[in-house]
Amino acid sequence: MFEARTRRAKVVLQIVITLLVLPFLFPLIAMVQGSLAGAGWQNYLTVLSVPELPLFFRNSAVVALGTIVIVYALTMLAAFGFSKLHIRGKEVYFWMLLAALTLPEVVLLTPLFSTTTTLNLYNTYWAVILPLAALQVPFTILLARNFMNGIPDELFDAARVDGAGTVKGFWYIILPLTRPIAAAIIVLTLIGAWNDYLLPLVFLVDPTTQTITLLPQFFVGQFSNDQTKVLASAVITAIPEIAAYLCLQRLFERGLSAGALK
Amino acid sequence: MMFQSSVAKRRRSTLIVALGVATSLALALVGCSSSTATASGSATSGKITWWGWTPEIGVGKQYIAAFNKVYPNITVTYKQVATASYDSVIRPALASSVGPDVFNMAPGGGIGSIGSYQGSAVDLTPVVTKALGSNWKSKVAPIGPSGLTTSSGKLAALSVGSTFAGPMWINPDLFAKYNLTPPKTLDEWISTCQAFKSHGVTCFEQGAGDPGFNMDLIHAISDSIQPGLWTQASTGKAKWTNPVFVQAWTIFQKMFSNGIMQTGALGTQQYPDVNNDFLAGKTAMVMMGTWYMQYSTSAGATAAVSAAGVANAKPFPVVSIPFPDVAGKGNPAPLFGDADFGLAVNVKSKQQKAAETFVTWLATNEKAQQVVSNALNDISALTNVSPSWPDITLVDSAKQQSTLDALIKQAGTVTEPRLGAINKALGQALGVASASVAGGKATPQQALATLQATPGIG
Amino acid sequence: MTATTSTRTLRVGSPKQAGGDAPRKRPLLQPRGYLWILPALVLSVGLIYYCIGYTGYISTLDWNGTAPDPTSVGAANYVKVFQDPVFWEAIQHTIISFLVTFVIQTALGILFAVLLHSKVRLGVVYKIVLFVPVVLAPAITAPVFRQIFAYDGQFNWVLTHVGLGGLAQPWLAQSSTALPVIMSITIWQWTGMTFILYYAAMGQIETEVLEAARIDGAGNIRTLVSIIWPGIRGTTIALATLSAIGALKTFDIPYLVSMGGPNFATEFLGTLIYRQSIPLGNVGYGAALSIMLLVLALIMGIFLNTRGREKKEVR
Repeated sequence: MFEARTRRAKVVLQIVITLLVLPFLFPLIAMVQGSLAGAGWQNYLTVLSVPELPLFFRNSAVVALGTIVIVYALTMLAAFGFSKLHIRGKEVYFWMLLAALTLPEVVLLTPLFSTTTTLNLYNTYWAVILPLAALQVPFTILLARNFMNGIPDELFDAARVDGAGTVKGFWYIILPLTRPIAAAIIVLTLIGAWNDYLLPLVFLVDPTTQTITLLPQFFVGQFSNDQTKVLASAVITAIPEIAAYLCLQRLFERGLSAGALK
Repeated sequence: MMFQSSVAKRRRSTLIVALGVATSLALALVGCSSSTATASGSATSGKITWWGWTPEIGVGKQYIAAFNKVYPNITVTYKQVATASYDSVIRPALASSVGPDVFNMAPGGGIGSIGSYQGSAVDLTPVVTKALGSNWKSKVAPIGPSGLTTSSGKLAALSVGSTFAGPMWINPDLFAKYNLTPPKTLDEWISTCQAFKSHGVTCFEQGAGDPGFNMDLIHAISDSIQPGLWTQASTGKAKWTNPVFVQAWTIFQKMFSNGIMQTGALGTQQYPDVNNDFLAGKTAMVMMGTWYMQYSTSAGATAAVSAAGVANAKPFPVVSIPFPDVAGKGNPAPLFGDADFGLAVNVKSKQQKAAETFVTWLATNEKAQQVVSNALNDISALTNVSPSWPDITLVDSAKQQSTLDALIKQAGTVTEPRLGAINKALGQALGVASASVAGGKATPQQALATLQATPGIG
Repeated sequence: MTATTSTRTLRVGSPKQAGGDAPRKRPLLQPRGYLWILPALVLSVGLIYYCIGYTGYISTLDWNGTAPDPTSVGAANYVKVFQDPVFWEAIQHTIISFLVTFVIQTALGILFAVLLHSKVRLGVVYKIVLFVPVVLAPAITAPVFRQIFAYDGQFNWVLTHVGLGGLAQPWLAQSSTALPVIMSITIWQWTGMTFILYYAAMGQIETEVLEAARIDGAGNIRTLVSIIWPGIRGTTIALATLSAIGALKTFDIPYLVSMGGPNFATEFLGTLIYRQSIPLGNVGYGAALSIMLLVLALIMGIFLNTRGREKKEVR
């Protein structure tokens, strides 16, 4: 965007961006540094040797995967409906969904207390997956619908003229073309589900169903708070997310660039 | 033709979407968990779960191991929930059918409040009578049942032990290093802090961002001006606008400017900030209660110091000192407390008998109470049990044992509650008053007038 | 974002109807989509509107969340909301926080996006550093920030070492500095997201247009103002809406970093609702606050939407 023709200008640009990024890097360094304080790498070994760790990872993976599958399926179906199909009062439904964007998790807590217990969902993954998905879906539908609006109707119509049904059109045309936005949806949903603290804390009470976000709790007692190990578990918890982002980075950016949020 | 095909297509799409809806519904239903239940259960066997914010997981396991020597067929699973989240976790759990069989309850309006959860608790009067006889009240510290009995007379939980606040804890190594003596008056406190400051050491540290611990501090100050008035005001028998409280709040407010409080006290929490700094040897004095006795032991201190982030942890002998006589009235050092926690049995428990066995054993059995006493976290509920020092390795018994004994002995006579007389509304109003005074947003007079005018505090 | 969605719908439908014979057939041809959107509606709208309804009901009660016999108090909780000074403080903090974080994030986001589109070396590294904060949960980063902004923390250490020791202060302990700290943490966390969206949007600006401008002699600043900025206008409006919603939902950072304190200086609606509903057990009052939050969010959504639309029409 900015043109830097001379060598000096290039160096200046590089320095400017480095200086600007430093404040963003600083807390990350403090985090890693803190996790190595006291016992050093031993902190990581202690965290990794928590016997429940693999279980917690699995549970978080179950919750994240479950949420991603539900969000992806519902988002694609609905975004397709909103973008390409005939629905009377489309805007009304869409607005109803968007209004749900404004709802913070805290507000859901009390109603969910009673709902999950009456539906017998308390202490099951569903008590976390369903609310998480419900809160995520409005935003992802918004993204996916805008993305699908960018796919020419003619492409879809042509397929229909060739005798392919709506379902086939959806399956063979829409789904492959929407891969970039799917990557964005997956990354965003993964972040939301993997990082969620409140819902698993309250609704997954059995030690065998608890998620990775509760890992730091192992090092926080009533009277003690081992910051070094809390930070080490934080770093360990964040690694899968960073890996997922790195893997999907290109698709993620392409998804967002195709007018997803304009 | 076109019409037909579009109908057919529509049908197919209907089918697919309907399938989607059906699966999501089915998935929702599959989630139903079923637990195998045996009604009320046996008193000597079964599997029970216990949730609490205290004791620490290691201490809890000690209790359970001792219990299993007597009742090998009752499996107890203890789950420690962080203090900050206990209330949000326990509420839906008690409403569900899969909640814990045994759960912690506390007097007053704070965490695990008896007022909030007594509806889920079984009346334990019959079992405690069976265990200790009809004169059971004479065998346990009175502060226990008084805070855990509802207004209608139901004994909602059995106290396992008590904790008291009022004393301060010091790092004697730091005092020795700079040749200083613990303060006994407000002036000495100020000069001691100046001396520590000149050496670059934090003198006194308070989590003033934490309303609960500010309450302990102001309570101790007002008790040294006029003992017992705090409790009278808490129960509506005295007014918060009383000059004694004005004086107490003024002393508290001045601590932020006279060099006693550390810089940035209002942004500090008692846990983890103050606790970690003290245990890491950065601070000379803190105001903590009798639960700090557990750091007198070698094992307790070593674990705590290393948890505070210190490599190659070397423990120091923590020692308690009486709260300084900040008003110069010569009153006895303040000490107030209640049941640290009570164990309640969930009315929805399917193993109620086994749960009752566990609760009664821990709260009334002498061997169990000896374990509680030796852990030095709580002062035992049974009055005839005290720590057996030969079984306990202190960091420096010459410096520590006599003060510990004195503290435990004094605690046994205390009737003044710490939290028990403070309901939710009062706790909240006191928190607001202390924060506004500490932050200089209100004069003590203004804050106390607002406090007195708060509805529902008495 | 809502603004654009509606204009987009118009574009999908109307221009085609004006052109040729395809349009007349189109409504007939277009299959019905009710069933396609049904699952999402059932889950999101169903669950969330059920919760709103339930919250609305609770907001008329005096209830601690466990008592079997809550008493109905009508609108008393709402009267209390309007009289609660902390509520008004929370509203004020929300507005300040939205304005400040939105402006700074937008500026930083655009700057980073422009710079990273300018062929700097190691672009990926910068991108990762900016995006990692988005990925980290506030529950993870909060203790780090508590430490950084403590009186003996790293921030004051840096200040002292760059010769600004006079500015060192207990950042989280003062009402005057606690809110700026919370806002800076929010900016730290979300600038990566803003950046990615702008970065993506700028990728859509045609290079020919940019080159043409250069040939006409436009400099860097001129290009930024007259080509890039209009080109990413849609993203800016969308981000304004999202930031406003985010500000209303603010909970984790002030709750975990400063507990809403000192002296309510960092109280937001989310922290107030949580404190009232869970630790204090005033579930009815918390529900009334929740309903107020929803009403505010809706008012704001409609306001931003209509304003956004007007501007679009003017263009």
